Amino acid sequence: MFEIVSNYFTSGWQAMILAGVVCVTLASGVLSPIVVSSRMAFFSDAVAHSTLAGVALGMLLGLGSPVPTMIGFAIIVALLIASLRQFTTLALDTVLGVAMAGSLAIGYLLYFHQKGYADLHSYLFGQIALLGGTDLILLAANAVLSLLMVALFGNRFLLMAVSRPLAQARGLHVARYEYLLIVVLGLAVSVGVRAVGLLLVNALLIVPAATSRCLARSVAGMFWGSVSISVAGGVTGLFLADWLGLPTGPMIVAVLVAAFFVAQCIRPLLRRARVEA
Amino acid sequence: MDAKPLLQLENVTVRAGNKALIENVSFDIQRGELAALIGPNGAGKTTLLRAILNTIRYEGTVRINGRVGYVPQRLQYDRTMPMNVLEFLALNLQRLPVVFGVSRAIKRRVLDLLEQVGAARLARADLGGLSGGELQRVLLAGALHNDPELLLLDEPAAGVDIQGEATFHDLIQRQVKERNAAVVLVSHDLSVVSDLTSKVICLNRTVHCVGSAKDLLTAETIAHVFGGHKAVYGHHHH
Repeated sequence: MFEIVSNYFTSGWQAMILAGVVCVTLASGVLSPIVVSSRMAFFSDAVAHSTLAGVALGMLLGLGSPVPTMIGFAIIVALLIASLRQFTTLALDTVLGVAMAGSLAIGYLLYFHQKGYADLHSYLFGQIALLGGTDLILLAANAVLSLLMVALFGNRFLLMAVSRPLAQARGLHVARYEYLLIVVLGLAVSVGVRAVGLLLVNALLIVPAATSRCLARSVAGMFWGSVSISVAGGVTGLFLADWLGLPTGPMIVAVLVAAFFVAQCIRPLLRRARVEA
Repeated sequence: MDAKPLLQLENVTVRAGNKALIENVSFDIQRGELAALIGPNGAGKTTLLRAILNTIRYEGTVRINGRVGYVPQRLQYDRTMPMNVLEFLALNLQRLPVVFGVSRAIKRRVLDLLEQVGAARLARADLGGLSGGELQRVLLAGALHNDPELLLLDEPAAGVDIQGEATFHDLIQRQVKERNAAVVLVSHDLSVVSDLTSKVICLNRTVHCVGSAKDLLTAETIAHVFGGHKAVYGHHHH
């Protein structure tokens, strides 16, 4: 195990994979408290499912890399969901259900038309070993953007999460910030898909904050807990996957989910300790 | 008293499709006035406050000559969210995201706001664990963050026990007296309206009457606005 871990700090190719995992889990750890507090978990899932159509569209257009169409399609679907929510009386879960099923079906048809079943697995569950230099730059940029979002607008997103009407009454352009959040989430999801796949990327945006919020007593505790759990879970999952010869994306998610259940077990003990203190 | 009204509404109409939720609402509020907005359910009271706050589309004119504070009707929020009162109030007061901590200056400001509503001990309390009365005080403290001259309170005592309600009303009266502010209070409790307020605005889609509580809270007016099912009974807070 020690050898496996040390390789990630000495081999250039493995160091790049480690840096990719740190970037993707840092971004998701930063955004996760906002996603969970704003109850946008299913939203990011729907956007993740739409990325397959973006990939297939890239192939159809003969682009060298599917990344631009994947990100573009994810953001268009995200904005479409937000607009349907704002301008129709449809329930959010209905809109998300239609968007998720529709974009996945179209995506799969386009993909099958282009490549049959080839490489589909890597889009569904990710293949972090295939990350290239451009991917790493994209993941790093996404991590920086996520941090910037929280640094600049964190308080506004939190106020909207506590109470939308109160945020409106305090003069916040709620719809504008919702669209901004949606675009950033669309970007984070489509970039994250490269690492852990479209079926699992949503877990990165939900599990860290779902774990930290059951242990934290403050927003700051929830935020830093989410970032720590996400990055630590990502790195642990990467090393474990390598050690056991298993796929990285599902292992990262499995480690995060294990942490979630451990937190659920610790929670009553923590509460009792706080009451006694 | 300043001759220029703090709040001036002229023919304010809010529509949902073809239906008018409120229609041609006009009235003024001066500094030092504690006005009650009364009317049956569905009369458009919350809609009117939202028009004043400019959070919905309306026709007509709303003029506000001062800063506004707002306390919403029964705040619906996720009570499992780990957020303490200090962080909640700091959301409006500091640019730095509260996830990076609350600065000393903002802590002092939050404590000052909480002291104004007699709730300094709640600074470290979980937002989700507050009682109805405590939450209303915290929301009032939040509404005072910009030293408002006009306070809009949407049934602030709903879900609060009698003692909490009396304390809350004392707080509101103090705001009016000490700061020469004005308050517009939406209430269903006509006895509270009669005890507390200097002006009553009867709303049922449109303004039916504006005047002093003593003059307006008669069986005749109430029957006209509410449909004849209400009456005013005095009650005393100890």
